[in-house]
Amino acid sequence: MEVLTGWWDDFFWGSLVVVKLFFVALILTVLFGLIGSAAKLSKNRVANAIANGYTIVFRGTPEILVLLLFYFGSAIALTALAQVFDPDVKFVDFPPFWAGSLAIALIIGSYATETFRGAFLGVDSGQIEAARALGLSNLQTFIYVRIPAMWRLALPPFGNHMLSLIKDTALVAIIGLEETLFVAEQAIGYTAKPFTLYLVVGAIYLGFSTIITLTVMLCEKYANRHLEIAK
Amino acid sequence: MIFDLELILDSIPQMLMGLGLTLQLLFLSLALGTALAIILLLMRISGRWVLAAPAMAYIYIFRGTPILVQIFIIYYGLPQLELVRESILWPILREPFGCAIVALSLNTGAYVSEIFRGGVLGVDRGLKEAASALGLSARQRFIYITAPIAIRLSLPAYSNDVVSLMKSTALASTITLLDMTGIARTIVAETYAPYEVFLSLMVIYLVLTWMIQRSFGWIEKRMSRHVRSEI
Amino acid sequence: MSDNQQDVIVQVENVDKFFGDFQALKAVNLTVARGERVVVCGPSGSGKSTLIRCINRLEAHSSGRILINGHELTDDVKDIDAVRREVGMVFQSFNLFPHLTVIENLMLAPKLVRKTSKTENRELAMEMLARVKIQDQAEKWPSALSGGQQQRVAIARALCMNPEVILFDEPTSALDPEMISEVLDVMIDLAKEGMTMICVTHEMGFARSVADKVVFMDQGEIVETGPPATFFDSPKSDRTRLFLQQILSH
Ligand SMILES: Nc1ncnc2c1ncn2[C@@H]1O[C@H](COP(=O)(O)OP(=O)(O)O)[C@@H](O)[C@H]1O
Ligand SMILES: [Mg+2]
Repeated sequence: MEVLTGWWDDFFWGSLVVVKLFFVALILTVLFGLIGSAAKLSKNRVANAIANGYTIVFRGTPEILVLLLFYFGSAIALTALAQVFDPDVKFVDFPPFWAGSLAIALIIGSYATETFRGAFLGVDSGQIEAARALGLSNLQTFIYVRIPAMWRLALPPFGNHMLSLIKDTALVAIIGLEETLFVAEQAIGYTAKPFTLYLVVGAIYLGFSTIITLTVMLCEKYANRHLEIAK
Repeated sequence: MIFDLELILDSIPQMLMGLGLTLQLLFLSLALGTALAIILLLMRISGRWVLAAPAMAYIYIFRGTPILVQIFIIYYGLPQLELVRESILWPILREPFGCAIVALSLNTGAYVSEIFRGGVLGVDRGLKEAASALGLSARQRFIYITAPIAIRLSLPAYSNDVVSLMKSTALASTITLLDMTGIARTIVAETYAPYEVFLSLMVIYLVLTWMIQRSFGWIEKRMSRHVRSEI
Repeated sequence: MSDNQQDVIVQVENVDKFFGDFQALKAVNLTVARGERVVVCGPSGSGKSTLIRCINRLEAHSSGRILINGHELTDDVKDIDAVRREVGMVFQSFNLFPHLTVIENLMLAPKLVRKTSKTENRELAMEMLARVKIQDQAEKWPSALSGGQQQRVAIARALCMNPEVILFDEPTSALDPEMISEVLDVMIDLAKEGMTMICVTHEMGFARSVADKVVFMDQGEIVETGPPATFFDSPKSDRTRLFLQQILSH
């Protein structure tokens, strides 16, 4: 444990970066998932095709490749853009935080697209008909009947997506974001205790995973409270 | 932006030189991981606490931490321990290839055992009761009734996990291995053409994903022949 | 005649319904007057559900006309909403909203559609629950109730919108035998109070004692219509006779 002396605060700040990355990517994930599922459910052929391409590509290629492409690719694009204005510019760096959150959110968003789509289609059509028969408008039916049923269906798989998301944040160390894995690498340079230090990173992630799992469990309990009393 | 077609045509054969390594990583860890998964599953459903608890802890830890961290702990971390350096496993753990196989197998094992458990839990109770009523022992029930049905039930999730594993093999590039991603990163470091190289590689991975999905689709179809002939 | 015309609530004229190439309704005509109790029966797949689902436009008919209280059912959303306010529906599978308590199920549509006050809605809901004799379950989740109780809640939910006519699609088919009568009793009470009802059911005892008119459908057509006495005792069509033999032989 004494190898960690002096590094605790670095790990703390590193963890904070992970948390920030997680929440930014989470919001973007939900956004991409909603747009993707809406596009998949729409009757517009072009939207269907784009959304299908999106999920096929982002679910079928390694996460690290997407991340590298985003990081190096966006830097090149930005540099090219900057050179239009100032030919002397040599290199513009795209912030790894944003390259990372975008890449991760696009990846997990492709899974969320399928989850949201499935939840939409999974809502018992009888409930929708009952709402219609009672005279609720389309919008009212959507808000008061479909959404409450949908989020209950989406919650368990979405919980898994959040776990994937938190774990994928570790990849961003590869492009130099100063999160926990990156901190560990630096600490190893001084202490030569890689086992201990990487174990600390693992423990931090296990803590995050546990928090997410417990939160999702609580939400599920709340979502299914109407079923508990029955038994 | 204009793509350098020559570079693409040049780099694809180079990256394909790493295909063999990618496939070795995939198939070896899949076989080892699946074997591990079966052991973990049997421990979990053994009904004996001393077996079930370690299996659960193992699954919890390996699913709760990033695979990249696991790879780093095994490759960079373990040599710190004298115990490891003097063990018979050292020839394996000294090499990045051995470490990648170990890490990927340990990781997949945790995920696949959960998939199999889902399959076992999904087997209709009535069938098991029917088998006991016919006088089959617990072991016979598992081998002849539960396992075959559970395998078929787990197949879709298993195929998704094979795709995940294939994507994870790309992380071997972070511990100096020259799989397809490793080669691509080298080329990009030399040419600084991330779009051409990474996008081409994504296409190659998409083809692999597609082939995995097709194969499992074919297996699933064969395994559910009896379902369709009934209808 | 003009007097009679005034009292027609549901008028189905020459209605066809296609699902792709398949014709589920063939030139169906049906008139239901205020206060009338109509029972629709027929073999499975004969188009009974399709007919009543067209009446509140859960399905759109392909041709012909359907008028509810003088409003013609067209694609006009305003008209559909107006019609649905006057037509209640009870489903075979209850379709209670599982995430809302019993009383919330009853209060939802009045809140959203009629936009009446919460206290008013609660009072109305309790009144309707009393009408189906289930007021003590108001705060429970639907899944905590038996099938018969759930179906009575569904009837109360429809009643809260104060409909001119209630459609029932096999309301007792999903119930255990011992629960059928508690639902039928509620329906009989409604009939006695003068509610207009169109009811798809195979409960022939109910049809005989409550219905003013029994409609027999087969293969998308209305084969025979008549008062229960004639319908059951001297059916005109062979198809009706065969159906009655099968259903009464149980
Ligand atoms: N949405 C639909 N799409 C295609 N066919 C349908 C649909 N709904 C009903 N049908 C067909 O229309 C026929 C009549 O169905 P339905 O009205 O439900 O019969 P019933 O209620 O008398 O049992 C059946 O053959 C059924 O298969
Ligand atoms: Mg029906």
